[in-house]
Amino acid sequence: MIKLINWLIFISMSGLTAQVEPVEGLHTHLPGVWALTGGTIYTTPANKLENATIVIRDGFIEEVGRKITLPKDATKIDMKGKTIYPGFIESWMEIPVDDNDKEDADSHWNFKVHAGRKMSKLYRPDTKKLESYHKMGFTAAHVVPDSGIFKGITSLIQLNNEGTVLTPSVSQGIGYEVDGWGSDKYPNALLGVVALIRQTLSDGNWYIEAEKKTKNYPQINPPLKKNTDLKSIGYWREEKFPFIFETNHELSALRSQQIAREFDLNYWIKGSGYEYRRLSELSESKPYIILPLDFPVTPDISHPYQELSYSTSELKHWDMAAGNPAALSDSGIPYSLTSFELSEKEFRKNLQKSIERGLSQRDALAALTTIPAEKMGASKILGKIKPGYLANLTIVQGDYFEKDAKVISTWVGGIEYPVIPPYTQEVAGEWTLNYDAKSFHLHLKQKGKVYTGTIEKDTTEYKLSKLKVEGNFISWKVQWDSLSVPTRFTGHIIDGTMEGTIPAEQFVWAATKTGDITEKKEKKQDTSLPPDYQVSFPDGTYGSKSYPPLKQDVLIQNATIWTSGNRGKLENHDILFSKGRVAEIGKGLKAAKSVTVINGEGKHITPGLIDCHSHSAAFSINEGTQSVTAEVRIQDVLNSDDITIYRELAGGLTMANILHGSANTIGGQNAVIKLRWGGTQADILYENAMPGIKFALGENVKQSNWGDDYTTRYPQTRMGVEQILRDAFAAAEAYKKEWKDFTQYPKKWKKKVPPRRDLELEALAEILEGKRQIHCHSYRQDEIMMLTRVAEDFGFTVGVFQHVLEGYKVADRLKDHGAMASTFSDWWAYKYEVIDAIPYNGALMTDVGVNVSFNSDSRELARRMNTEAAKGVKYGGLSEEEALKLVTINPAIQLGIDTWVGSLEKGKDADFVIWSNHPLSTKAVCEQTWIDGRKYFSIEQDEELKQRDKTLRAKLTDKILTTKESGKKEWKHSEEKSATHHHCIEDEK
Amino acid sequence: MNPFLYCLFISIIFTSDQIPAPPQSQPILLKGGDIYTVSQGILTNSDILFEKGIITQIAKNIQPPENTQVIEAAGKHIYPGLISAISTLGLQEIGAVRATRDYAETGSMNPNVRANVSYNPDSELIPISRSNGILLANSVPRSGRISGMSSLMMLDGWTWEDASLKDTVALHIFWPSMKQPKPGKKKKKKDKDKKDSRLESIQELDDFFKDARAYHKLKSSNSPSFKTDLKLESMEPFINGRLPLIIHANEVRQIEAAVFWAERNNVNMILAGGKDSWRVIPLLKEKNIPVIYTQTHSQPSRRFEEFDQSYKTPLMLYEGGVKYCISNSESPFQTPHIRNLPYHAAKAGSYDLPWSEALRSVTLSTAEILGIADRVGSLETGKEATLFIADGDILEVRTTVETAFIQGRIIDLTDRHKDLYEKYQEKYRQKGLLD
Repeated sequence: MIKLINWLIFISMSGLTAQVEPVEGLHTHLPGVWALTGGTIYTTPANKLENATIVIRDGFIEEVGRKITLPKDATKIDMKGKTIYPGFIESWMEIPVDDNDKEDADSHWNFKVHAGRKMSKLYRPDTKKLESYHKMGFTAAHVVPDSGIFKGITSLIQLNNEGTVLTPSVSQGIGYEVDGWGSDKYPNALLGVVALIRQTLSDGNWYIEAEKKTKNYPQINPPLKKNTDLKSIGYWREEKFPFIFETNHELSALRSQQIAREFDLNYWIKGSGYEYRRLSELSESKPYIILPLDFPVTPDISHPYQELSYSTSELKHWDMAAGNPAALSDSGIPYSLTSFELSEKEFRKNLQKSIERGLSQRDALAALTTIPAEKMGASKILGKIKPGYLANLTIVQGDYFEKDAKVISTWVGGIEYPVIPPYTQEVAGEWTLNYDAKSFHLHLKQKGKVYTGTIEKDTTEYKLSKLKVEGNFISWKVQWDSLSVPTRFTGHIIDGTMEGTIPAEQFVWAATKTGDITEKKEKKQDTSLPPDYQVSFPDGTYGSKSYPPLKQDVLIQNATIWTSGNRGKLENHDILFSKGRVAEIGKGLKAAKSVTVINGEGKHITPGLIDCHSHSAAFSINEGTQSVTAEVRIQDVLNSDDITIYRELAGGLTMANILHGSANTIGGQNAVIKLRWGGTQADILYENAMPGIKFALGENVKQSNWGDDYTTRYPQTRMGVEQILRDAFAAAEAYKKEWKDFTQYPKKWKKKVPPRRDLELEALAEILEGKRQIHCHSYRQDEIMMLTRVAEDFGFTVGVFQHVLEGYKVADRLKDHGAMASTFSDWWAYKYEVIDAIPYNGALMTDVGVNVSFNSDSRELARRMNTEAAKGVKYGGLSEEEALKLVTINPAIQLGIDTWVGSLEKGKDADFVIWSNHPLSTKAVCEQTWIDGRKYFSIEQDEELKQRDKTLRAKLTDKILTTKESGKKEWKHSEEKSATHHHCIEDEK
Repeated sequence: MNPFLYCLFISIIFTSDQIPAPPQSQPILLKGGDIYTVSQGILTNSDILFEKGIITQIAKNIQPPENTQVIEAAGKHIYPGLISAISTLGLQEIGAVRATRDYAETGSMNPNVRANVSYNPDSELIPISRSNGILLANSVPRSGRISGMSSLMMLDGWTWEDASLKDTVALHIFWPSMKQPKPGKKKKKKDKDKKDSRLESIQELDDFFKDARAYHKLKSSNSPSFKTDLKLESMEPFINGRLPLIIHANEVRQIEAAVFWAERNNVNMILAGGKDSWRVIPLLKEKNIPVIYTQTHSQPSRRFEEFDQSYKTPLMLYEGGVKYCISNSESPFQTPHIRNLPYHAAKAGSYDLPWSEALRSVTLSTAEILGIADRVGSLETGKEATLFIADGDILEVRTTVETAFIQGRIIDLTDRHKDLYEKYQEKYRQKGLLD
């Protein structure tokens, strides 16, 4: 941050800098020396001074303390009963910008990349907004653009009428902005958004390098096309200035952490309020977080069926959200607070809630003052009340963290911005009213903006009507008896006295305040107790108490063991798992005391099932805007909190190949996961898998079933599909060649602009090099054969044909080429290209010698892959052991992970399932699922979790139903769900 | 492509090669099998005799009449034909090809359209289904609010008339969504005045039934102002309670609303779908509403629901005393896959529904709910000889159906898949890659 301060271009003080423009009319010189005396002053969050004084001179704080000699030229302002805080800093104030505006010809090609946009240039103060920020006590703000993927450079400004910029360059904003399937501009999916972020970060560095080279060697390098956005990003990375990632849940924060690590970024986070769910992971890098206090409103569960639309984790977040700031403090993660998207009332209320839930006032104050000042490069001028600092003050009647305490005024750079106009007078109280030489008792009450009152005359109380208080003016009328004309009073109020007239009767009246309202005001107590439940992983239904579950050594005795390996099926055998691996299979195995022994009589043990084609557990499945999107990666968008993971585990699945969709010819990179329920994206990603990529052929990529509007994107025929492939590989060859040249002949390139890293071509080049294998969505025999020929022309082998429903027609070609096949057990007839699909496909290809797996392509089917495998026996007569391999060792081979998983053989991972019955039987129920020697699912555990979750839900609904708050306000806290939109099949099941 | 050629092309592709069987001409005796009667338990090592399409005797060691064709069934399982309670079988060929879809008429109220008149007896999907013991299927139109009348089809026959077991099974209503979003942004005044689409949709149904009743009053009283209206005309058996209404609904609010609506309109209701039916078991029992449960192979509707809820619901209905049967998924995407019907029942069986109850849920229970139990659904004398022989438990995937009969006729159990399998085995035999 020190660097950043050095980098400040200028610091200007509100209204005090030398005026540049000529004066119109007379010069204005308002006095600027004040002494605020008698107030309670927080010079820093930790240091409170009672009855102290602040001296302000020309915009700065000159002195602060309890025993100060007032300068002769200072005018005193009495601050008795008031608390003075260092001026609060609003950490996130969005300013509307238009992404379609490309500033100039030097801008980036993508309409969402605006890295060169500077908020210091675009910010314009708006009086109305200023008022609302002052009302909350804010005196400075961090302004950020409201849209874009690279949003631009944020700034710290004074909340004064001039909009003085304090730090022009604070951070570069990054947003995961997803337009969705309706948009045809790249990127429209989260997949593409992350890819664009990664590519652009990489391009930034390249651009800086390229610029240097072209500048130094203009005769070697052709002039560089200028790109101000890339230049800005490159510079930003080089200088280690912060990038701030806008997140919408805890997993997007962890994703940002991963990107920051990959590109070695100094990163910040605009928080989501869900950080408390993944504290230990966030604590690894402790990013600075700008935290909104946008807590969920009380869920509307008044109707019992409406309750069903809220998941338990949503209900739980309602109760946990206010504890988030305290939880961050406890973890030592620095953060500041923002009122973003909240009204003044909501912000104050939620701040109080946070304090009730354990946030200390000191931390709260730091989050509004010293922390943002330090992070935003203003620690020497903002955030404290200290000589030499800007005179930014927040003045409150009472304690800011108490409910009824009002902000009276803010000072911004030595100028006062009153929040409550000085003419405002308190009238509520007991008064003695004198007129016509008589004395009466006057009693005035205030509730909000409504005033009521009575006059006691001759022991009778008369109600005042039309009682109006406007600033320091007051008026009312009173009717002494039903016959007479009402008497009308008018007057004005000054600090506990009133004076006025009764014009009709020519009386002058006067009143003095004798006391405050004596009525007891019952303080409404928040009866809700803080939550006593723990965060689970993921939070909500079926979440684990801790992650990962305990690693255990296990001996299963006298079971039927389906090894899916050389030893075949072993009856009445024991199997020992130790240290997360298969240790031994045999008879009469002995176990040490520490080993968990399971009686396996009547049970069947199989390897954990593996699904070679899945779209579970990802926030985004298809970046379909372009025919080639090899740069996008499923690993960037994994949703490790997807409940599908648990449901699939309960069906004996331990691994899945999460594939990009099939809307385009060359889709994105797949991710192989282990279903480590409770882990994060990083935990579930299986590092040993062969890198892969999704390709697709046929009807989906030519948009055959998308309707009549989709007839122009290339390709529209299978002929065109082949050409797209050849074109992409030709480009990849050229790319590979250039890079090879670059690494082999560094001397030759010394003065030349280096080749640009292109994530798309890089992935394609990896295919050519045999480092990345293709998973190709395919149906018809012609296209299957075509791809094998294209691959052979470019010198590589296709890894796995997916679906491959006519694979049985060209099994000999698959075998000769060396490709494997992952197919459905029995789907057919849902579109024209699957009219010849047959359930014998798997068996026939197996018989010819192709490695075959059965996959699900469906969250539902993935829960019962064992009976899918049984169809290999039914259709084509595979042996039972062979059939089980369709969902164990065969997909493991296809994913390049058979060294570790897929069979129960010594040294392999302890990934296994205990079945109640023959695993191919429809009677079989999965009783336990283990991964890495850890029990992730068992029927007993499941029963416990069900009971726990039931109790929790009942507790939450009871609590909500007894909460007074109305539940009709907008609900903005729905969970983000995994994507289901993809084009492997045409119809949702 | 020339449209004419295109049609020709489609019709060549989409015509099955299997030849419908002639009527049963001689008595047939299945000898020594395990007979899963469904109505009277399992009769091991017994015989079953049928003549002219009707079961005449079930016993041990039956002495068959002369001229009886005897089929050895020792060690085999004999089952009544399985019944698919809901699908678009015969009304669609290739889901993605519009020209081959015939199940969705345009408009919201189509009570007058009937499934079997557009049932294509030569659909390739039919032999595929019966290959796994699905010998009867209720073909259902699906579109709009009232989609039309379903027909119970036998999965063999030269024409749709031959294949129809019952022309009209029920009238189908697709219940409107009753979902209410979570509280959203404040409604604009304009929106506040908008009518509640849920209530409007139900009112439309009420109005339609009121009109139907008024129409038939005019008709029966020979009113001079009576004029024919096909839609209202077709409503007669349903408003008079002679035939049931199958109301498709999954979400609990839909189910509740449908049940109360049916009671108010005094009609005979069957619930189809029933994903949330477990939440209102006492209501379904009290109002005597049968359930065609289509959701065994589905994920729980809500994130917080138990992972095995869809599997357990049949057991809960059974234990709660609700009349129910199990169907394949009703999605047209699943029509080519209704052969997997027995595994839906088996899934419920593996979650503690008694195994015999699981079998009943795709045979006799279905027949009872669809009003055809007097003819099919179980193996009893006097019932139709629509049955099959399998080499094992039909609820197990590894079991193969060996012989099937519809009304005593021996059915061709070849199908497109077996043919293509044969064809390409030959390819590899020619190449020396297979024995």
